[in-house]
Amino acid sequence: MIFSQIFETINTGLVVLDKEMCVRHWNRWMALHSQIDSSEIVGRNLFDFFPELNRPHFIRNCRSVLAFGHFCFFSQKLHKYLFPMPPAGSLAEEFDHMQQSCSMGPLRNESGEVESLYLSVQDVSEVVSYQKKLVRMNQTDPLTGVYNRNFMESQLAKEVVRCQRFGHELSLLMIDVDLFKNVNDNYGHQCGDYALKEITRRISAKIRQTDFLIRYGGDEFCCLLTETAPAQSLKVAELLRQQICDTPFLFKEHEFSSTISIGVAGFDENDVDVESLLRKADSALYQAKQSGRNTVVNTAS
Amino acid sequence: MTAEILNNIFAQDEKDILQEVMNIAFGQASAELAEVIDIFVILSVPDIQVLQGSDLPGYLCRELQTSGTVNIIEQNFLGKFAGQALLIFPSGAEKDLLTLFNQDQEFINNDIDMDTLERETLIEVGNILIGACIGKIAELLADVVTYDPPRLMAKDLCLEDCNKSPVAPDSFVISIRTVFRFEEQNVEGYLFLITNQKSIDWLKKALFAFLESFG
Repeated sequence: MIFSQIFETINTGLVVLDKEMCVRHWNRWMALHSQIDSSEIVGRNLFDFFPELNRPHFIRNCRSVLAFGHFCFFSQKLHKYLFPMPPAGSLAEEFDHMQQSCSMGPLRNESGEVESLYLSVQDVSEVVSYQKKLVRMNQTDPLTGVYNRNFMESQLAKEVVRCQRFGHELSLLMIDVDLFKNVNDNYGHQCGDYALKEITRRISAKIRQTDFLIRYGGDEFCCLLTETAPAQSLKVAELLRQQICDTPFLFKEHEFSSTISIGVAGFDENDVDVESLLRKADSALYQAKQSGRNTVVNTAS
Repeated sequence: MTAEILNNIFAQDEKDILQEVMNIAFGQASAELAEVIDIFVILSVPDIQVLQGSDLPGYLCRELQTSGTVNIIEQNFLGKFAGQALLIFPSGAEKDLLTLFNQDQEFINNDIDMDTLERETLIEVGNILIGACIGKIAELLADVVTYDPPRLMAKDLCLEDCNKSPVAPDSFVISIRTVFRFEEQNVEGYLFLITNQKSIDWLKKALFAFLESFG
């Protein structure tokens, strides 16, 4: 009596399946979230209602639980959900389906043999939402919304390994806003923030989806161009330079112009690691600054 | 030194039965993995050692004899027979396991990055292997075991740099080691089942009960 009440009222989906994948029990939580009443599904094959579960991975786990009597924990990151259900409340904006953490375990008869199995389903949409937010916060710059330095370090390390292994091309643009301090001093920091946002907006619009724009420091940015040889990346850099200097900036009543200097470096066989690529781009940027700003300099030149 | 401790804890006949039970359990696990879920894995004859907790890292290091880094999956099991299972793969094996376990590519194109896919596959494969071995041991010794979720304890760990024992340094541990090998993929790894003093008294009784069941 008590146990059946718990079974019906617990805030977890509970399902009991027999060896033929026939549903034996289907609790109220499952009925409410799946819109399938227990009277409809009990006695029927689970796959008649959820054909997407009829795949090797799910079946292998069921069979191993029945054979070994162990537990199976469905990786949330891998599966997202087992039973497609609408997400509850405001989380519907973020997810197409309720995110679920599911596990499976054996049910034994009186002589201790595994006779059926149970599935438990928990709504973890909120947790997944927080995880996504944390990942985002850890990887992006709050002011401009582009990637941050933390992200760049791990991404650049991965790209360098890929280049070394497969001989792919990779270019790095080191970008610095010329005399940025003047913007802050003349028009205030709010205007400086606007300028940084506007610059990243203009750059983002001109790079490919597979490229990465990173805020490296205060007014320094970095652009990672994958599968791009230095000759092409030089053209991209020139395009970006024009995007900034050709159109004036407008903040409240202030109209002002801004320029950027760019150092370009391509990954080649002499580069042993991330640092050597960064050093090359840095020294090219230094040359660009020396030669009067609003300039693009390639390491090879 | 280890032989001495082993002798103090288990008499010769107890050792023999323990070895026999493990032989049967691992043999059955291997056979059923192939039969029930089409995973063809060969498990070596288990090697049983009794050690002091503080000697465990050194022992693992000697047994593994690997120069590279490893990934370790850890899962606790709870019953009268209780302890910790450590599944150790050389780094890179996760890529081979992925082709073995994701042949129908069901998780590709599901906006999951490769690192996550490999890591989660390793954990799920680990769960099945550990569950099969422990499940068979528990069945032979008439115990019912439950499990904590498995987790990736270490990624790309260099064993020589690691001297932290996963168990209390002054405790005794029984280590049951098997080398497993996925034939098709040429992947090898180690499974260590580490159980402690608390399980020993029960284990001795269960071993004799097992023997008596053959009358």
